[in-house]
Amino acid sequence: MKSYINNYELWCNAGDTKSLMKAVYAKESALVEDTTFLKEATAGLGIMKYDDIYSLMSEVVSKVLKSSNLTDFKNTLLILGSSVGGMQECEDIFYSQKSYKNIDPNKYSMNALSDYLLKEFSFYDSRSISTACTSSANALLLAKRLINVKAYENVLVVGADGLCNSTVLGFHALSVLSDKKCRPFDTKRNGMNVAEAVAVLLVQNFKTNDSVELKGVGASSDAYHMTNPNPEALGAIDSMKDAIKDANLELNEIDYVNAHGTATLANDKVEALAVEKLFGKSVHVNSTKAITGHTLGAAGAVEAIISCEVIKHGLVPAQTGLETLDNKNINVSKESVKMEVRNIVSNSFAFGGNNTSIVLGVCT
Amino acid sequence: MKTVALNIISSAKIYAPQKLENLDEKRLAPNMMMRRRLTRNSKVMLFLSDKCGFENGKIVYGSCFSELEETAKIANAVLEEGMLSPTSFQNSVYNTAPSYFSLINKDTDEIITISSGMKTSLDTLKTAALQALVSGEKVLCVCVECINIKNIEEINRCTKFLEAGVAVVLEIAKDESEAKEIELLHVEGIMDSLQDLMSVANMYENGIRKIKVEL
Repeated sequence: MKSYINNYELWCNAGDTKSLMKAVYAKESALVEDTTFLKEATAGLGIMKYDDIYSLMSEVVSKVLKSSNLTDFKNTLLILGSSVGGMQECEDIFYSQKSYKNIDPNKYSMNALSDYLLKEFSFYDSRSISTACTSSANALLLAKRLINVKAYENVLVVGADGLCNSTVLGFHALSVLSDKKCRPFDTKRNGMNVAEAVAVLLVQNFKTNDSVELKGVGASSDAYHMTNPNPEALGAIDSMKDAIKDANLELNEIDYVNAHGTATLANDKVEALAVEKLFGKSVHVNSTKAITGHTLGAAGAVEAIISCEVIKHGLVPAQTGLETLDNKNINVSKESVKMEVRNIVSNSFAFGGNNTSIVLGVCT
Repeated sequence: MKTVALNIISSAKIYAPQKLENLDEKRLAPNMMMRRRLTRNSKVMLFLSDKCGFENGKIVYGSCFSELEETAKIANAVLEEGMLSPTSFQNSVYNTAPSYFSLINKDTDEIITISSGMKTSLDTLKTAALQALVSGEKVLCVCVECINIKNIEEINRCTKFLEAGVAVVLEIAKDESEAKEIELLHVEGIMDSLQDLMSVANMYENGIRKIKVEL
């Protein structure tokens, strides 16, 4: 059984899907330089305008339901991918009261978000995944496999993460935050921007005139270091190869790689090497995190939606923020490229050496 | 919805009111630098996987509260405007324990981490069943909760055992004959997030080797 992405919507610092794609093609980063999270330094951040993550999720999920062929989600499995879950609210309580007493444990963990949606929309069932920055990519991986084995007909994948003190300060402690808008794959890149997003995709077992096929998924572990990628790029290569094999495609059938591309020195060096070793210059590659920032657990879902849009537009976006390409052996363009985009590999990599790649393409 | 039959190949469980002792860390993580960085969840997971005889392959790991000790360290450092430890931050993600397992055992296979509240271990089992079905391989399904942190009494209303874990190694059975539904064989006082897998481990101890799971 094949899997198709039939409906989707998101909200990020650049707005909804339509506004985000306008920003992507106009090379207009939606990141800001912010001084509120770090006392001693400025941080580039991707901050959304919203009341709270719960009502925002509800709004985006409602839009997807309305645009779908479903009247409700009673026969749909919800899979949430998040790296911080309900942490935002719990942090606020702890910082103001200096005690755990008034923290509701049910609102602390990942399932705080999925439980809310489960009740709000009466899903058949839900589960939540937290593998740091690959969380929602792994949610898509499971969605595809569940549909392939005919366990479900409809799976709603939600990637959601809000900004938390612990994540911004934590990345700062690791010295990987940029004080400016990030510049993936550039020689002068100096780090990433933490950002937030809610991204929702409806994966189903039938196609419509507007479907994008979820063709392949692959995952691997670096088994190398908790935060640094394997310098030979073995894990990243394995996850891409596995996803392409799962899609029954050859390497020359991939047109574009939507990279994890955080703009940290280590990630971009290794990911560029992985693309170079696997594809050389035969594919276009770039990172849309120059527009959205790194939306952590939501990133896989955000970039899956961007990939669907790239296929539909037939237009590979330029690399925003690029002046001088670091690795000259890969094909990162400063201008958008109009072409038939048959198949895309979208990469997500995470702490612990957790790698996930998905292949999206024109329906067959 | 689809149901599959699973062979349970091995199982292990462990729990303590406060801190689990004798986790055999020196043997399981012989590199001292690595061992010093291990979180409590990581040590418990290493112990359980060893007891199950699992060295390499696909892992589905579950935890409702995951690395609570590391998260508390970060929150307190922020509150006291102290220095945040990079190690605490990297160790605070939910996939920390299986990632340390992969580093120590050079396991380059897939790792999925589930955190579904009090039904975490059931969802972990369902996901492990899916991974076994798709790959045709043996899968380690392991759930751990370690919430033995300072002032936990302010918030703990769900368990008598502050450190606990349970694991099974499973594979897809060739047929569904004699496969049993999961019985409620809970261990009293254990956090609900572990109870479904605890029941499967108890079934295994009672001689049941084949179970049915809905994906």
